[in-house]
Amino acid sequence: MTIDINAYLGAFALRDLRCNTPEALIALMDRKGIDAALVSHASAITWKDCHRANELLADEVTNESRLIPCAVLNPAYAGWERDLNTCAHDLGMKALKLYPHWHGYALGDPCCDAIVRAATDRGLPVVLPMRAVDSRQLGWLFDVPDLPAADIAALARRHPTARFVVVNGIGVAGSALAPSDGEALGNCWIEISRMSLFIGCEIPRLLDNPGPERLLFGTGMPFKYVDPVLLKLEKLCAPEEAKRMIAGGSARSLLGVAEG
Amino acid sequence: MRIDAHAHVAAPGHGEVEGDPWGRDKLMIQAADALEIDHLCCSCLAASRPSRPEQFIACNDQMRAAMDEFGNRLLGYCYVNPGYQKEAVAEIERCVTGMDFIGVKLYNEYKFYDPAVRPVIEKCIELDVPILHHAGHTWHPLPGQPFISDAADLARALVDYPEAKVICGHLGGGGDWEWTIKALRDSENLFVDTSGSVVDDGMIERAVDALGAHRMLFACDMSMCAGVGKILAADISQQEREMIFSGNTRKLLGGRI
Repeated sequence: MTIDINAYLGAFALRDLRCNTPEALIALMDRKGIDAALVSHASAITWKDCHRANELLADEVTNESRLIPCAVLNPAYAGWERDLNTCAHDLGMKALKLYPHWHGYALGDPCCDAIVRAATDRGLPVVLPMRAVDSRQLGWLFDVPDLPAADIAALARRHPTARFVVVNGIGVAGSALAPSDGEALGNCWIEISRMSLFIGCEIPRLLDNPGPERLLFGTGMPFKYVDPVLLKLEKLCAPEEAKRMIAGGSARSLLGVAEG
Repeated sequence: MRIDAHAHVAAPGHGEVEGDPWGRDKLMIQAADALEIDHLCCSCLAASRPSRPEQFIACNDQMRAAMDEFGNRLLGYCYVNPGYQKEAVAEIERCVTGMDFIGVKLYNEYKFYDPAVRPVIEKCIELDVPILHHAGHTWHPLPGQPFISDAADLARALVDYPEAKVICGHLGGGGDWEWTIKALRDSENLFVDTSGSVVDDGMIERAVDALGAHRMLFACDMSMCAGVGKILAADISQQEREMIFSGNTRKLLGGRI
């Protein structure tokens, strides 16, 4: 079973996206052999009241069991506690995604700690995109730095019972999240879409530490082409069981998704 | 066939992996083997830039040594700093006519339209070899690259040189690719390589629509799975895919492959 932990629906503020409706995304998944996807709404990245995007997302995925909804909330915005309750209890959201630098706060701010605690109390993993868009491609309106791995690691250490998912990351191997000379943080899962299989060999290094049960398949669709990460999985020199774990086993455990 | 039009061998003294002086370049060859890339068109850049003549000459000697080490898998671009006009032109002559290099690589030492670059462009026209140019267009300054050329800078210079053959480097690694595609449209002798780590959905199709597949060259610039994957993923015809993967580069190199 292949589960994409890093997918989106809806419009994005900075450029046109294809395959961003449920029907088109499902068709793309069928073409590429992806069984299920954790999806958030792309408009939530830039909307001030991003919970409105959660409501739209919930409507869109109502009849699509293969699309698992993921909330996006801004803990620096009014009413996030009530919105989180709605997402967890009424809208069936299975994870919470945060965009600190797009939403005007830092990973070290008290509001971030508060929403991580609240998500953990509700059983939701916290998804942290290291970036939404390559910083070289941002237009004149935005200058949004990536989330530093060290800041994510510090947050994860402050919340040892929380579960964190790092997506769109690079430079994780050897960072505070997965040190070269020590054990990787036990409460962090890492999505591999941007990481090198060859030359820099980041994926093989992460296969050693933290290991396949902490690695996740994700594509970034429909922002990104799917084939590059499919190639990485196909060409990865690893036992088939480890590859199955990355493709979907780790995500199934994390999200509580039933086989098939 | 797949020909990577934009790759790099390690700079002199920077390629050692676990005691093997060719270790870094062997990793590139292993990736090429796994991804069915038949040839890689490489340059060797100075570790620190702007480079002096003794640096770019040493780099080109390293490139030639790599071509000897790895046989016909590697083809070499001659890297020069065009600011040293006399030395750069002499180095291009040495590399292309004497060492079997296929073209010239320019980095970010000068804007391509700077008059200082003209002797290099004219030498490449004389020898009938392409120039692969590092390029990018971003909306925020790139640290350390005040003279990086973008697609419009390349097009501006080519107004005076319609017979030159220039490749705009890394559509997927040069910032705003939508801007780059639009800036490339009107210069028929300006090609673009598809390399870079950015794999934004629709990028290849948009470029094919705007430029035509005949102006696009498959490349990785060391982002190996990204480079191959975006071409495999693109919703284009098989003929267009084959042109991009190898046909256009073969044509540009005039039968060298």
